[in-house]
Amino acid sequence: MTHDTVLVLKRRLAQLGRGLALALVLIWSVGPITMIVVAAFTPEKEIFSVTKSAGWQPTLENFVMLWAKWGDFFTGLLNSLIVTLGATLLAVVVSTLAGFGYSRWQSRLMASSAFSMIALRLLPPIVTTLPLFPIVNAFGLNDTYLVLILLYAAFFVSMGTMVMRTFIDQIPRELDEAAMVDGATSLQILHRVILPLCGQGMIAVAIFVIVYAWNEFLFAFIFTTKFAKTAPLVMSEMVGSLDGVEWGVVFAATTVQLLPVLIFVVLCQRHLIEGLTAGATKG
Amino acid sequence: MAEARLPSQNPRAGVPFVLPALAMLAAMILVPGVYVLWLSFHASSFGQSPTYVGFANYAKILADPYFWRALKNTVIVVLTVVHVELLLGLGVALLFANGLPFRKLLIACVLAPYAVSEVGAVVMWRTMFDPDAGLVTRLLLSLGLTPLEWSVVPMHGLILVSLLSIWLHLPFTFIILYAARLSIPKDLYEAAELDGATAWQSFRRITLPLLMPAILIAMLFRYIFAYRLFSEVWLLTGGGPARQTEVVAIYLYLEAFRYNNFGTATATGWLMVLTSLVLALVYLRKLYREMLARDA
Repeated sequence: MTHDTVLVLKRRLAQLGRGLALALVLIWSVGPITMIVVAAFTPEKEIFSVTKSAGWQPTLENFVMLWAKWGDFFTGLLNSLIVTLGATLLAVVVSTLAGFGYSRWQSRLMASSAFSMIALRLLPPIVTTLPLFPIVNAFGLNDTYLVLILLYAAFFVSMGTMVMRTFIDQIPRELDEAAMVDGATSLQILHRVILPLCGQGMIAVAIFVIVYAWNEFLFAFIFTTKFAKTAPLVMSEMVGSLDGVEWGVVFAATTVQLLPVLIFVVLCQRHLIEGLTAGATKG
Repeated sequence: MAEARLPSQNPRAGVPFVLPALAMLAAMILVPGVYVLWLSFHASSFGQSPTYVGFANYAKILADPYFWRALKNTVIVVLTVVHVELLLGLGVALLFANGLPFRKLLIACVLAPYAVSEVGAVVMWRTMFDPDAGLVTRLLLSLGLTPLEWSVVPMHGLILVSLLSIWLHLPFTFIILYAARLSIPKDLYEAAELDGATAWQSFRRITLPLLMPAILIAMLFRYIFAYRLFSEVWLLTGGGPARQTEVVAIYLYLEAFRYNNFGTATATGWLMVLTSLVLALVYLRKLYREMLARDA
C-alpha cells in the first residue's frame, strides 16, 4: 500500500467512526422518547407482545381511554399551565428588576447580597419542604397554586437574576445617561431603555422556569393533594396505581405532557444555549 | 469600576430593585433553612411543641444503618452519574464542534431529554428495561447478556436510576462544554496544525486545558444537583426492595412523612445542607473573590 492509500483509508475510518458515534448519540437521546410516542399510538395489547403483528397501525385508542378514564390528568394539565405561567411571570419580573439593580449599582452591599443569593440556591429543595409544610398548612396554602408558584419562582430567581444581569450589562450605559440627562428616573430608565433591549434575556429566563415548573415533581408531590395537582403528579399516580397499570394510557399521557414543552425547547434552542452560557452556571 | 456608576447617583438607589428577589429567597429558602437548623436540635412531630434535645437527632441518624445505606447509595450514584455524564458530554461536544451537517437539528435532538419530566423519563426507562418485554431487555437477551433485574436486585435498581439520571441531565453538561469549546479561537488549532501537531496532541495541549474551567463548573453543579436525587428513585423503586435503594433525600422524606420522625428528618436535612456547602466551597470561594473584588 502506498502512503496515499493509507491516508485515504485512515480518513475514511475516521469518518465512519464519527458517523457511528453520531448514530449512537441520536439513538441515546431520541430513542426513549420516540419509543414512548410510538407506543402511545399502538393498541395496548400489542405494546408488550413479543411477537409483533405485521405492520404498525397507528391508533388513537389510548388517548380516547385517557380522556374517558383520567379526567384528573387534564385538570392536572390545566393546573400545570396555571402554575407554570404564574411562576414564569413572577420569576421573570423579579429577576429583571434585580438584574437591573445589580448591573447598574455596584457596592459592597450589593455584591454581598448577590453572593448570598447564589449561595442560597445551593440549598437542597427537599430540606425547605420540612419547615414549610407546617407553615403552609397554617396559612391554609396547602394544595393551592400560590405555594407552587412561589416555590418554583424562588428556586429560579437567583439564576434568573444572574442571567438578566449578564444581558443588561451588555446594554451601553451611555443610553442610561442620555435618558438621565432628559430627567428620567431609574424606573423610567428601566422601562424605556432597558426593557426594550433585554428581551433575549427575559426569554432565556422564561425558558428555564417554564421547563422546570411544567415538569417539577417533588414540591407538587408534597404540597398538593387534590385541587392543585399538576400533570406529572397525576402521571405518577397512574404508574403507581394498585389495580394494574394501563400502560397504553400512561404512554398517551406521557406523550401529551411532553410534546408541548419538547416543541418549545426545540424552537427556543438558541435562547436556551445563550441563557445557560450567560449565567446559568453562575447562579 | 467608577465609570460603571451613573453620574451623581446614590449607590443605595439600587436596593429597591433587588429587594423583591431577596425577599422571595429569604421567605422561601433562607428562613426555612434556618428553621430546619433550629428544629434539628429539637424533638418534635406534627402538632407538638418541640423540646430541646441537643445533638440527639444527629446521634440517632448516625446510629441508623438505613441512613448509612442511603448515604452509600447516594455516593455511588452521584459519582457514577457525574463522571459518566462529563465524559459523554465532552465526547458529544467535541464531536459537534468539528462541524456537522444539520447541526441545528442534531443539537435539538441532543437537547430533547432536557424537556422530559422525571416522571416521563421513569416511564420511558422502566418500559425499555421491562423484565418481560422491554426493548433493551430483549436486546440484551439476544446478545446472550443478563438483563437488569432492577425491581429485585438493589444494585441493578441503582444502575437504572443512574442511567436515567445521566440521560436526563446530559443536555446540561453538553451545552456547558459545547459553548466552552466553541469559544476556543480557531487560530490556536491552525497554528498547532502548522507545527505538525497530531489530533491527540492538540486535544491534550489546547482543548483540554482551555476547557478545564468549564469542566470544573459543570462537574460542581452536577455534584450539587445530583446529590438532591429524589424523584427518579422515588418513582422507580420507591427506595425498595426492603429500603435497599434509598438515597439520602428519600431517607429524609420517609423519616418525616412516613415514620413521623420530624427531628431526625430535619437533622438529615442539615447534614444535606452542610455537605452541599462543602461540595460548593471551592466554587463559592472563587465566586466570592470575583464578586467582592469587583468593587474593592
